[in-house]
Amino acid sequence: MAIVSLSGFDPFGGLLGLQDALDRLLQNPNLGINLGLSGASVFPALNFFIDEDGVVVRAEVPGIPADKINVSVEPRRLTISGESAPAQRDKGSYHRRERRFGQFSRSVQLPEELDAEKASAECKNGLLTVRIPKTPAAKPRKISVQRA
Amino acid sequence: MTAQELTPKEKQELQEPAKTRPGRYYVPDVDIYEDENTLWLWADMPGVSQEKVSIDLHDNILTLRGEVLLEDYKDLTPVYTEYNVGHYSRRFTLSEDIQIDPDRITARMSDGVLELQVPKVERAKPRRITVMS
Repeated sequence: MAIVSLSGFDPFGGLLGLQDALDRLLQNPNLGINLGLSGASVFPALNFFIDEDGVVVRAEVPGIPADKINVSVEPRRLTISGESAPAQRDKGSYHRRERRFGQFSRSVQLPEELDAEKASAECKNGLLTVRIPKTPAAKPRKISVQRA
Repeated sequence: MTAQELTPKEKQELQEPAKTRPGRYYVPDVDIYEDENTLWLWADMPGVSQEKVSIDLHDNILTLRGEVLLEDYKDLTPVYTEYNVGHYSRRFTLSEDIQIDPDRITARMSDGVLELQVPKVERAKPRRITVMS
């Protein structure tokens, strides 16, 4: 995986700093990792991050309860699928209908050095987060320098 | 309906100049539904917690705002992105035809969706008038 250093991204710099960092990659998609399999035209839209443990994948899935979302991680492949449904209403009428509902499934390719066995997922406030740690072999090791 | 496939929708940036903080705001997707007694509103605001939503009704203008939690992005370095992140804001002018009861508006957040229940007041409800012969 190409690890891009985004100098200038300061997570404490507030909203603007975060938006700028995301924008830089939106405009230069080739800087990042290659997702393969399915493109950005498939729901949900994904953002990939790295932290010290590995890869963090985020998707916005408003209105979809955690038990309606399936996440599976195989070696080199992540699949997110599920279904959303509108609240059942009758005897009234819609003035405005912008929210969308339906089934979805998206698979993306993952970098090699990730440990699928240790992946975890959580959904909070309509934000899905999948964390896939690096294999111990891929993690940087601190080597102490001996005095000769 | 259930067999329909969900496709991603590009987020729409808020064009209103009325901003008090730096950064971009987005327009949440909204459904509005009216039945006999109530006006319902749902707004998609992924990443917004219950404590970070504000709803204001003033001079028939309903303003919804939601702030995403920047802490969620602490220690994360983006490497590939397909969408941007920002706070949400949207404003509606309520129709004069619908009399609502502002004191009884209720709101709740679940899974990143704001649900507003706006009760209509008695006099706005349709009344059946019997024509006497």
